[in-house]
Amino acid sequence: MKDSINIKIAGKAGEGIKSVGLILSKTLMKAGFWTFDYIEYPSLIRGGHNTYQVHAAGKPVYSQVKNLDLLIALDEESLRCHQPELTNTSLVIYDSEKIKLEFLGKLTGVYLAIPLQQLTKESGGLPVMANNTALGAVIFLLGIELQILKEVIAQIFADKEPRVIQENQKVVEAGFAFAQEKFSDKKIALVQPQIKEAKILISGNEAVALGAISAGMKFYAAYPMTPTTSILHYLASKAKAYQLLVKHAEDEISVINMAVGAAFAGVRSMVATSGGGFCLMTETLGMSGMMELPIVVVEGMRSGPSTGMPTWSDQADLKFVINASHGEFPRLVLSPGDIEECFYLTRQAFYFSEKYQLPVIILIDKYLAESLTTIKAPAGVWQNSRYSFANQPIGKNFKRYLNSENGISFRSLPGWPDGEHLANSYEHDESGFATETIEMRKLMVEKRLRKFETLRQETEDLKPFQTGNGKKIGLISWGSNKGPILEALANLKEKASEINFLNLNLLWPFPKKALAEFTKDKEILLVLEVNATGQLVSLIREQLGLEIKHNFLKYDGRPFYPEEIVDYLHKFL
Amino acid sequence: MINPNVYETAISPTFCPGCGNWGISQALKEALGELQLAPHEVVITYDVGCNANMADFIKTYAFHGLHGRSVPAAAGIKLANHHLTVLALIGDGGFYGEGASHFLSLMRGNHDLTVLVHDNERYSLTTGQFSPTTPKRTITPSTPEGSIEEALNPLALALMNHATFVARGFAGDIPHLKNLIIKGIQHVGFSLIEILQPCVIWNRQKTYDWYREKIYQLEPSYQPNERLNALKKALETTKLPVGIFYQEKKKAYHEEVAALKEKPLSQQTIATIDIGELLKDFS
Repeated sequence: MKDSINIKIAGKAGEGIKSVGLILSKTLMKAGFWTFDYIEYPSLIRGGHNTYQVHAAGKPVYSQVKNLDLLIALDEESLRCHQPELTNTSLVIYDSEKIKLEFLGKLTGVYLAIPLQQLTKESGGLPVMANNTALGAVIFLLGIELQILKEVIAQIFADKEPRVIQENQKVVEAGFAFAQEKFSDKKIALVQPQIKEAKILISGNEAVALGAISAGMKFYAAYPMTPTTSILHYLASKAKAYQLLVKHAEDEISVINMAVGAAFAGVRSMVATSGGGFCLMTETLGMSGMMELPIVVVEGMRSGPSTGMPTWSDQADLKFVINASHGEFPRLVLSPGDIEECFYLTRQAFYFSEKYQLPVIILIDKYLAESLTTIKAPAGVWQNSRYSFANQPIGKNFKRYLNSENGISFRSLPGWPDGEHLANSYEHDESGFATETIEMRKLMVEKRLRKFETLRQETEDLKPFQTGNGKKIGLISWGSNKGPILEALANLKEKASEINFLNLNLLWPFPKKALAEFTKDKEILLVLEVNATGQLVSLIREQLGLEIKHNFLKYDGRPFYPEEIVDYLHKFL
Repeated sequence: MINPNVYETAISPTFCPGCGNWGISQALKEALGELQLAPHEVVITYDVGCNANMADFIKTYAFHGLHGRSVPAAAGIKLANHHLTVLALIGDGGFYGEGASHFLSLMRGNHDLTVLVHDNERYSLTTGQFSPTTPKRTITPSTPEGSIEEALNPLALALMNHATFVARGFAGDIPHLKNLIIKGIQHVGFSLIEILQPCVIWNRQKTYDWYREKIYQLEPSYQPNERLNALKKALETTKLPVGIFYQEKKKAYHEEVAALKEKPLSQQTIATIDIGELLKDFS
């Protein structure tokens, strides 16, 4: 019996690969499985090669894996280019009307021919529904009840005409029946989960968006840019119901200036972009630091520099975001390790940003932003407090930038009597008026640095994600690598006990204390990250004076696969 | 009527003697006073440039941001709290050069802002280089052989770009400019007030007298409700008309947004947020 399954749906862009993948994953979730969905696509609307990969098991899964148990090849290219991921026992469903195997040379795996177009037509479906016909066959092969798939279809197409639901349900029935008749001996012996916990299937971007709504974000501005565009789409679709102002502005500079303006007027505001858009925002990032106004910036990294590979993943903006903008000012940088952390850390981002009146950057990547996973459903109702506002009535001689002991000075909001002040991008005195005196410049630089020190002390006690308590190997990583590493450790089974894993989800203020404690007693230290120059390695050297020699770096646009991490770790075991 | 000196901070202006900013700041304070807007009910965003030097001298809630960006910041403030009166001050370099994309976009959105453009045809704070409104062949430190670009016509551009309030004033005529600012603030939507501003240091050709020779007030019979008539006026160069060229009643951006129907964003409580409904979509 198999206790996990790895399925890939592959075809041309524009053929609805994502939609059919989502239906499959949701059906698995409703059957009690935990899933992780990884999506690859080129920067094209039509014609390129797209894949949707679902890794599922009866216990939580953390990432995609390489070897496929089942490939649904919707065109010939899909069948050819995924040969390296197939084994002798992999099943391959293909459209026998479109693809002729005899012309393709030597192939790996067991091939199941299904006349998808014909089955779809005969059952009264439209040609575009052929993917779902294949899905009916998949569900049979996995031993999952057809009824669950039909319910998911009804849910997904709930806002369409009833006809659409009925026709799609018909075609999955046809696919299921065909497989039942022809391939009953090919059915995969898959352990069906006995416990069915309440879960949700959600992408990193959606988790960020939900976290932001739950935290009381009221203003969101963005300019579309892969991989964070779906945050804009999601929030725009909920703007009316949740009374949000969602603005697609003319460029990223306008985006962040509007958002800082909205923050000045008192609402929690957020923007999202990728590295290129963030480049345009950097001057205003510094303005937020100087004016001491809160702003949450989501930066979804993709392969750069420049336009790079727009739909592929990277972690090469780490040093950029912690240094972005000229001058010195406090900021906080979070790097969620998984989709659940995307939700909870986005809430944290609003807390830190408002309390310390500074920019907070949530650093994710294409891999985390656009992958989906099942997580335990978070609570529905969330409570939010507000931070660092002056008490009303304000009284005379309000000092917006009061030189306080901990560096935090309370703010008033436009409309509050006696709180008039100047939020100033120039160096300013305690009231906000521009200044160039030696005394005031030093006072204000030191005030802002003191605020950072207060922040550093509070964040010092945050515990990064950590496994193991041995002394042999210390594996350090950050952000989205958490998933593939956890999957690799699960694959290593008892050997994993020699490996201690630390995943950083706070990058600035740099978690020196946590790293010092983790590294002090390890025999071998390793760093794993998705960039070519070892940016975390270099930060550790700078911040701790510690040289870590063993680095596993990947920079081909793809995330780590657990298999390659296992191979790497074997060198040290 | 609130006394204009209520809007003064304790800091004395540092404008050059003879700078157009003296007249503009006086007209602005008088306009706010006549509209009986208390300092805490008004937000002014300032750009970077000589125009923005005013930020330290005028007492309201104020936002002194980055060069070219005072208008998007103002739009964000207005969208966050549309009960506020929001003005944006900016120069010809900031609005027609560095921030020209915002000029083109926010106008079309009809954001309810009153934008005062201090147009002195120079980058004066950086010592007098040519700006988007400098006439072709003008010699400046960055164009020693004479500028090659044709000058931008902001009023004509605004008229073709869905602005709902287009006016021109003169820094040397305070009562007239004050009235334009009052009308601009009262107008619900995007108000562009282009202000001819002498720069006595870097634009010696265009003195107060030069402007006084050139300027005439739009005739009492002129009706500012025809875009094409307004365009003809905006294209005049021999003489320069001042006054309201065009005004149109149209819903402002914030009036079209569902989330703002009930109350401003800033007045919505966030103490308890229920995302239960949203979670259902993912289950």
